[in-house]
Amino acid sequence: MFRNYLKTAFRNLAKNKVYSFINIAGLSIGLACAMLILLYTKDEASYDRFLPGVNNIYRIVSKEVNPDGSILMQSGNTGSFHGPAFASGVPEIVSFVRFQGDYVNIKKGTEVLGQDAHRVDSNFFSIMQFPLVYGNGKTALQQPDAIVLSETVARKFFGSADVVGKTLQLQRNGTFKPYTVTAVAKDCPQNSSIKFQMLTKMELSAEEISDRMNWFNFFLNTFVVLAPGADAKQVEKKMMRFYEMDARETIKIVAEKYNYKAKAQYTLQPYTDIHLSKEYRADNGMVGASNPMYSYILSGIALFILLIACINFVNLTVARSLKRAREIGVRKVIGSDRRQLIGQFLGESYILCFIAFVLALGIAQLLLPFFNDLSNKALSLTYLFDVKLVSSYAALFLVTGFLAGFYPALVLSGFNPVETLYNRFRLTGKNYLQRSLVVLQFSLATLLIIATVVMYRQFQFLVSKDLGYNDKHVLTVPNVTGNKIAVFRQELLKNPNIEQVAIRNNGFNVTLARINGNKELEFTMDWVDADYLPLYKIPVIQGRNFSRSFSSDTASAVIVNEAFVKAAGWKDAVGQVVDFWYNNKKYTVVGVVKDYHYAALNEVIKPQLLCNNEDNFGLAVIRIKEGSAAAVLPFIEQQYKSIVPLQPYSYEFKDISNQRQYEAEAKWKKMLLFGAVLTIFISCIGLFGLSVLAAEKRLKEVGVRKVLGASVTTIATALSKDFLLLVVISLFIAMPIAWLLANKWLQNYPYRAALSWWLFAAAGAGVVLLALLTVSFQAIRAAMAKPVKSLRTE
Amino acid sequence: MLLELKNIFKWVTVGGNRVFLLKDVNLQVQEGEFISIMGPSGSGKSTMLNVIGMLDGFDEGEYNFLHESVHKLKEKQRAQLYKQYIGFVFQQYHLIDELTVYENIETPLLYQDVKSSERKAMVADMLDRFNIVGKKDLFPAQLSGGQQQLVGIARALIAKPKLILADEPTGNLNSKQGEEIMDLFTQLNKEGVTIIQVTHSEKNAAYAGRTIHLLDGRIEQQVTN
Repeated sequence: MFRNYLKTAFRNLAKNKVYSFINIAGLSIGLACAMLILLYTKDEASYDRFLPGVNNIYRIVSKEVNPDGSILMQSGNTGSFHGPAFASGVPEIVSFVRFQGDYVNIKKGTEVLGQDAHRVDSNFFSIMQFPLVYGNGKTALQQPDAIVLSETVARKFFGSADVVGKTLQLQRNGTFKPYTVTAVAKDCPQNSSIKFQMLTKMELSAEEISDRMNWFNFFLNTFVVLAPGADAKQVEKKMMRFYEMDARETIKIVAEKYNYKAKAQYTLQPYTDIHLSKEYRADNGMVGASNPMYSYILSGIALFILLIACINFVNLTVARSLKRAREIGVRKVIGSDRRQLIGQFLGESYILCFIAFVLALGIAQLLLPFFNDLSNKALSLTYLFDVKLVSSYAALFLVTGFLAGFYPALVLSGFNPVETLYNRFRLTGKNYLQRSLVVLQFSLATLLIIATVVMYRQFQFLVSKDLGYNDKHVLTVPNVTGNKIAVFRQELLKNPNIEQVAIRNNGFNVTLARINGNKELEFTMDWVDADYLPLYKIPVIQGRNFSRSFSSDTASAVIVNEAFVKAAGWKDAVGQVVDFWYNNKKYTVVGVVKDYHYAALNEVIKPQLLCNNEDNFGLAVIRIKEGSAAAVLPFIEQQYKSIVPLQPYSYEFKDISNQRQYEAEAKWKKMLLFGAVLTIFISCIGLFGLSVLAAEKRLKEVGVRKVLGASVTTIATALSKDFLLLVVISLFIAMPIAWLLANKWLQNYPYRAALSWWLFAAAGAGVVLLALLTVSFQAIRAAMAKPVKSLRTE
Repeated sequence: MLLELKNIFKWVTVGGNRVFLLKDVNLQVQEGEFISIMGPSGSGKSTMLNVIGMLDGFDEGEYNFLHESVHKLKEKQRAQLYKQYIGFVFQQYHLIDELTVYENIETPLLYQDVKSSERKAMVADMLDRFNIVGKKDLFPAQLSGGQQQLVGIARALIAKPKLILADEPTGNLNSKQGEEIMDLFTQLNKEGVTIIQVTHSEKNAAYAGRTIHLLDGRIEQQVTN
């Protein structure tokens, strides 16, 4: 019986190549997408779960709540003090380990290399049980000069992994000291929030250990292990009780001294929640923080594509059923009951689905590099090859086959044999289901196309908007400090291709100060020299720029931006005082710069304060002549290496690093484009199939019309019109939804491209044009056919 | 008695009016009979055949088949009944295009869950008997009309039915092919198979023992040949 079905199915597939192609192509693309997304979500869900005992590991996180209930600060960071304090005060906390991101310079021969590293407590490996290749985790980090390397880093420095006992020269406090490798760990799995390359032991001063003021320092991750069976909520309560008791004096002092009224709240975040957490992100040495939104959007697109492919199957199978009606009738007459026919047709859909599934595995494998790039992952089909994945793929197969096959099976098996065998059979009704499904397909496709167009617009807007300063042909070189600055500048300016050199602080700093006597204002603070504003062509609109001829500038002058002036409520900014009361420094405003986008366009321009104090200088900013990069880059490197010998050299072009701020948008853009192209493609091949069937069904009608004198155009129009109407209906459904969604999404951006009507019109016109091409091809072919032929077949 | 139709009425409603397809049809068929049904187009021949074959229902009357009251049976039991006792032969042969001759003949056995080895033997017998062993791997499209009809009859016979219902079995065949088919029916009838055929041809009707003439859904006369 099964063989008989199998044969009919295969012979049917082979006989109707167009439909087989449409169905298999659509389904395999849809399935491949679904497979990749499953892989992705599986990876997301598996994050960090490979660690033994991970369910008892938590991170201490904190929230500072203002008296009015608003949240002042929320972070996954704690200080060096919190771990030991809570461990001593709360019995359920069995142990703790602190973990802090670090970056060290390592001397290898005459070269100095920068290296990502982490500082951890000596018990790191007994809590985070990452497997070691060489060495003993219990003893590895006992000594202050011990380091643990990952296999890859060991190979990078020594050429092999078996390097326990060898030494590396690490820079600490300005000098290089030998550190001994005590263990080599396997590279951390890619679905790990901790991916250490090098670990050193955390060294703390006596003051850091005992001073209760450290309750108010937050700069590392503290992980704790709870006793088995301990209730995290109860532990949190005990932690708070302990904190309020232990820090009571300190809280009072801070409140008085700094007028600080916020109250700290400590909670425990399960280690496995960190990866997808929005409130307490994986940072400060933890990596891979992910937005669950990505999972949703990706899953949504995959679902769309799969759904559209299934709709093709349903529509084409039902539309084609006319051709198979006779077979169904015959089978019924010679003894098949309805259940057996349902089985046969479901079986056929499963056969087709199986072929598509096998192809999809191949497509998924092919697309994986591209997908990994899009999703920031290093996935492979084999890497997550386990029972769960295999069973979810099996489920995917079963659900898809059923989704595609069940309805047609039900319809086809219900045909009345007498009608089908005596040519009295015709598909009755207006076929609303088929039409609705086509509308659904094209609505989804249009939605994705509009989303893509809007995304492109916004991206284009972000990368091409005038930032208020000139970031072209500017490069930055870090680690230029102290007395090296003047020499470096002087040497660089000797090169005619280098136009200007300025210096600023490296990094990003947000702080607060008092203005107008008592008002506190939060702002971004940067340290720049007198050449900085001219180099970037940032206009000073009030007062003056810093100047080397005013010696007091470095000590007491500041320049603010317009946003600062507005926030402060100043009429005349120049001469106003900014009071950093906590370190007894007062600065006078000497100038105001026009607002410029010093941060990414994802944020409004916030108050900024520029200070001339050279203590924090560290990043050289170099403007070069247009087109001279190739000539000038080696020169800069050579100068750097001779002037700043013991630092790793690196550089970055400002416009490129600015673009990188929109990497997320760039990825979304690609993802959506990909989804949109696939959905419209699959929708169109489905429509093509339907138009072929419709033309065949109306072959006789077309013949009669031609004999009566209808032109090719009228006939082609008559044949295309119905389908185009459906597509136009989809546009009317998709556009308002797309408009709402696009608007909502654009609200995320303070600076956004206008949602003009022509964007929608263009997307809509594109969809209609594609549909027209698809349908009219077949319609014209049918209309051109010789009527004699079609009429004689009757 | 094999079957009995008692006061069978069948109608469709067109624009509020009942149009009778069968009107008070009474018929008794004994096992081993060979019956022809004749009548002009639209007189209800095929409808009657389909009612007898349980492919089509009726609106009034009684139908007994081998002491089962067909009109009281559920769809499923009815299907069970015709599956077991009735074979159909059509004017357009109605073979499944995607299956070979062998597979076409085999299919009814599949639906009756006959074991594979048994199936093979039965199909081989049938091929042998109809002299189409050499054609068993061909598809219907590769056969002549007469050959297709032979396969159709072979398929109808494979499950060893008591009754063969044939709707103009020679309608699409030339006279020589037609004669062969009619000879075959005569032969089958001699072996004990009951046959009811619909035909337009007086000559073919004469092969039967009894001819029923239908007009406007009513049995006009019955003639014993």
